[in-house]
Amino acid sequence: MAILNLLFEHRDVEGIGNIDVWEANGGYEGVRKAAALEPQVIVDEIKTSGLRGRGGAGFPTWIKWNGLPKNYDAPHYVLCNADEGEPGTFKDRELILKIPHLLIEGMILAGFATYSKVGYVYIRGEYVEPAWQLRKAIDQAYAKGYLGKNILGTGRDFDIYIHMGAGSYECGEESALMSSLMGERGNPRLKFPHAPLPTVAGVWQAPTLINNVETYCAAAWIIKHSGEEYAKYGTEKSKGTKIMSVSGHVARTGNYEIEMGTPLMELLNMAGGVKDGVLKAVIPGGSSVQIMRPEQCEKINLDYESCGANGTLLGSGGFMVFNDKTDIVQLMRRTSQFYMHESCGKCTPCREGTRWLFKILDRIASGNGQKGDVELLLDVCSQIDGRSYCGLGDAAAWPIVGAIKAFRSEFDYWIEHKRSPIGNTFVPPVVEAVNPVLALTSV
Amino acid sequence: MSDRSLTQTEVSLNPLSSERVNITIDGISLSVPKGENVIEAALNAGIDIPYFCYHPRLSKGDAANCRMCLVEVASTAPDGSVRKMPKPQTACTLPAAEGMIIDTNTEKINKDRKGVLEFLLINHPLDCPVCDRGGECPLQNNTLYYGASASRFTEEKRHYPKAYPLSAQVVLDRERCIQCARCTRFTDDISGDAQLGLLKRGSDVEVGTFAHTSFNSKFSGNVIELCPVGALTSRTYRFKSRPWDLMTQKSICSKCSNGCNIKLDYRMDEVLRVNARLNEDVNEEWTCDRGKFGHDYISSPDRLKSPLMRKDGKFVEVSWHQAYSLLADKLRAAGTNCGAIAGGRTTNESVYLLQKLFREILGSNNLDCRLDSNPLPASDPLFKKSLQTGMGNKIADLEKMKTIMVIGSDLQDEQPILFLRVRKAWRFKGAKVVYVSDHLTTDSTAVSDFASVNLIYQPGSEITVLKDLENALARVLSANTADSEPPAQLNTQPSEATGLSNNDIHLAASLLAKGEITIIAGKSVSQHSQYVELYQSLTNLLASTNSEGNLNIPVHECNSLGTMDMGMLPGSGPGFTKCAGGMGTAEMLQASADGNLQVLWVMGADPVQNFHNNELAVRGIENCPFLVVSELTLTETAKRADLVLPAVSIAEQEGTFTSCEGRVQKLFKAFEPVGSSKPDWLIVAELSAILGAKNLYFTFNDVLQSISKEVPGYEKINPGTIGDQGIFRTVPAAG
Ligand SMILES: Cc1cc2nc3c(=O)[nH]c(=O)nc-3n(C[C@H](O)[C@H](O)[C@H](O)COP(=O)(O)O)c2cc1C
Ligand code: SF4
Ligand code: SF4
Ligand code: SF4
Repeated sequence: MAILNLLFEHRDVEGIGNIDVWEANGGYEGVRKAAALEPQVIVDEIKTSGLRGRGGAGFPTWIKWNGLPKNYDAPHYVLCNADEGEPGTFKDRELILKIPHLLIEGMILAGFATYSKVGYVYIRGEYVEPAWQLRKAIDQAYAKGYLGKNILGTGRDFDIYIHMGAGSYECGEESALMSSLMGERGNPRLKFPHAPLPTVAGVWQAPTLINNVETYCAAAWIIKHSGEEYAKYGTEKSKGTKIMSVSGHVARTGNYEIEMGTPLMELLNMAGGVKDGVLKAVIPGGSSVQIMRPEQCEKINLDYESCGANGTLLGSGGFMVFNDKTDIVQLMRRTSQFYMHESCGKCTPCREGTRWLFKILDRIASGNGQKGDVELLLDVCSQIDGRSYCGLGDAAAWPIVGAIKAFRSEFDYWIEHKRSPIGNTFVPPVVEAVNPVLALTSV
Repeated sequence: MSDRSLTQTEVSLNPLSSERVNITIDGISLSVPKGENVIEAALNAGIDIPYFCYHPRLSKGDAANCRMCLVEVASTAPDGSVRKMPKPQTACTLPAAEGMIIDTNTEKINKDRKGVLEFLLINHPLDCPVCDRGGECPLQNNTLYYGASASRFTEEKRHYPKAYPLSAQVVLDRERCIQCARCTRFTDDISGDAQLGLLKRGSDVEVGTFAHTSFNSKFSGNVIELCPVGALTSRTYRFKSRPWDLMTQKSICSKCSNGCNIKLDYRMDEVLRVNARLNEDVNEEWTCDRGKFGHDYISSPDRLKSPLMRKDGKFVEVSWHQAYSLLADKLRAAGTNCGAIAGGRTTNESVYLLQKLFREILGSNNLDCRLDSNPLPASDPLFKKSLQTGMGNKIADLEKMKTIMVIGSDLQDEQPILFLRVRKAWRFKGAKVVYVSDHLTTDSTAVSDFASVNLIYQPGSEITVLKDLENALARVLSANTADSEPPAQLNTQPSEATGLSNNDIHLAASLLAKGEITIIAGKSVSQHSQYVELYQSLTNLLASTNSEGNLNIPVHECNSLGTMDMGMLPGSGPGFTKCAGGMGTAEMLQASADGNLQVLWVMGADPVQNFHNNELAVRGIENCPFLVVSELTLTETAKRADLVLPAVSIAEQEGTFTSCEGRVQKLFKAFEPVGSSKPDWLIVAELSAILGAKNLYFTFNDVLQSISKEVPGYEKINPGTIGDQGIFRTVPAAG
């Protein structure tokens, strides 16, 4: 098990963003193939592949695809979640920037499979360059008849629109994404069992499919090849590949597509190992998941089962490596500042709790910690986790609970000695986030 | 013309499923309608679940944000196995399902409630000692019952400048706000002006208005009551009192004919604030701003405190004895050559006795209550027919209609509570609305905002519009087609003068053709010079859609309908019985201007300000040989009187008003009359006794019992039956 470039197969081909090059490399074969297939066959193929959502939660993709009404009586929508806000994650960016046609293919297939005629790509506002690439690719696909009316003579229609977000992590949460897409405040919406599933009543109360960019890309690969082919890779419950965005104290940061089940340490080695020191910790799946100590890292394979068994999550694949010069308390202080800033403010625990968490961590990391602060942090986390309206609250609490579990002594050290156990006593000042104004110049 | 459908906003007061499911709450087995909100099922069963943001009349989609109502939930599978949901769930949005097991009182839930309250309070200023809400504050109450006694928050709280002026009436304290979104949902769901929104995000979230807009809603006051904390306060009530220092009395709003049930909160003889009183069939729990903020006249320093008599061109205060003697002398001298005008603002009891005095003791039939221009003489059968009924539908029944047509009315202004009902029918009950008018308003909320079709015609062409609509409806009904585009064979050009397109007329007709419809017609219909033709067209529309009787031409003042019921019309006695004719308002003013009317009594009316022909009103009032005015303050008419009698407001008397839908409702007395002022009915009763009346009345109950006996339609109304939510009078047959 190691690097396995399925989605990235043609990533480095010169000019692959161009549809002619893409077609020369087997592009749109999947769409041509699917044009002759019954929608249900496409869904079944995804089922065979065992594909699970790559946006973070790992929900079986075929169940969503199978959940929409199987007719064209009313509008359905296919949404692509390209908001990629999870700190440490940058795979969707590369997928869209380099191989935008793979995503387009995946969405067309989803459109066929779910009887939808319209797709939206909700792309984060900072991704100006990828959005331009996608725009160009969509235009090319229209010109070639892969999008628009009566695609390849099938009588099926599909249009794709791009919607730029405005800089909110919360808008990557699927229901908040729908609110935002509809022009409302980017607040999450009620979920099952309080409201119908999105596949029944999603955006504009119409049946809606929502998946991550990588999920659509994998679906495109699966239909081009086959579900069985995809299922050959990976472990029993985690099929195929996962793109890991490796960052932090490693020699070679970047996106690595690996076979599911690859040992964590192997990925670390592929990335050239730890830089400027020895390994202290890894956050394997984005800032929301629990941080792992080196001895835990030894045991973890990068798949859903193994990560879960070790008390962390594969998440969105934001693989962050920390060397022994990292101050975990300051890391958590910065992390909690992120969640405080990104909380939408809708629900009490997250709105008030994230701010409180940050204030406590800020106090500890500036030498004003008090006895009992760690217990307070844990208790505040327990009052947020599972009590908030959407997953952001949970995501704000988990890393702190995880860090205290793994590195409790560092918190105690800060509180007792009023300085960093690392010897680095520099405390970065609280930065008020300034929203940069996007300049939309042509690329 | 937005037809913005609801997204996740089904409120729980929608008709519940007839299917029932068995659920268990805290070990108590309940059978409840499928899909009912668990919080409602629990509250109905007497199990307390605390909450802040939940409200039964507001949409669910933006609820569940305070997280106070978390409960533990488990489900029973058909095979009997029980599965617990891993996370606690919000009871306020959870639909009841078969086999659901809910626990509200576990150790975990109690900890969660403590947690939520701790969070809410970490940034809360806790200025309870000076907060308007203190004493009636859900945040205080829930903290007392469910909260921890101490906070572990040692950091600096979030601070904002205190009084932020949200509008002319409403002041916002952002520190106290708990971001429950009740106020913003109100402006979305109920009033429809959508003027409040949540701004910013995270812990910076605050309530505010959008750029370049202001909070000038006609219903803004309701958010003060809705706010579960003291964040939204009334500019007039701010810092005036503590709730426990206030007395409360039930009353009826005097500002329009809709008959909102209100509560007067007062101290000594000062009304400090007005709150809505629940009446599901009338105002639910809302008021409009006129009702909420418009009752300051009650405690105005300008109130008259004793009778005033004109001596040498100046008013001097006199005793009631002097006033009565003078008036009695003048009336005796005038014989039948006298008359009375009563506005729609006095109680049934007052007008009833007034017309009795004139008809039975003085022998004069010159009585009227109309100040508006009225196209029909009071003796016209159509006048009686359409006014007797006023509204063919009850207010509460409007929301049951499939299609509602509003014609010639700025409804939000003329009939605010009817407007809210129509909007509710559209937003929550799926009704379609057709709006017909010669203009669009600039108000922040209006029927035209949500009407499926707006027929905005050229002024003056209303007769043609309705004829076109009748024809289009006939064509639609006969062709049995109700598409949005008229089929070719139905495509006839509408009359050009109206400026309307054939498509719009057809669309309106198609909507009318769909089912039981109701029509609400406003002032510009009831005062139209060709009222008869319009009335005929409207009844035709109703007849061809099997909706006979659903015509609503609501009156305008709080007791306009009751005043007419009591017989304050020339030639029309109590209950619209036929009686000897006399002069109407215009004739009386004319006669008075010519010096031919010896005594004119104006009660609770201001013709100088409000009569449609101002020039005639001024001449009539100024030249009147003897003008007596009973009023609260020196109105323009009262200033010109020879004798002014101080009357009392709704807060100082018992009495009844008949609302535009025919609901007779009771005013309860809050405090004693100011100065030596008296209720109008008592003034008339005492004067009648002086003038030799046989029947004497000493209390409000005496008068109401007499009304019950003598006024057709009011048989069932008496002190024992009227209650505090009112009862309907029946419509007497047209006589
Ligand atoms: C706070 C929050 C932020 C999220 N942000 C993203 C995101 O940026 N991109 C994404 O694909 N999924 C994100 N998700 C997950 C989505 O809600 C959703 O699970 C995902 O789009 C489903 O797609 P999948 O089934 O393909 O994984 C986020 C979830 C939460 C709770
Ligand atoms: S947990 Fe609550 S406040 Fe946080 S993002 Fe979700 S809804 Fe908003
Ligand atoms: S809103 Fe309630 S808790 Fe807050 S200051 Fe006012 S009375 Fe006190
Ligand atoms: S002002 Fe009051 S009603 Fe509005 S959100 Fe704040 S607490 Fe809720």
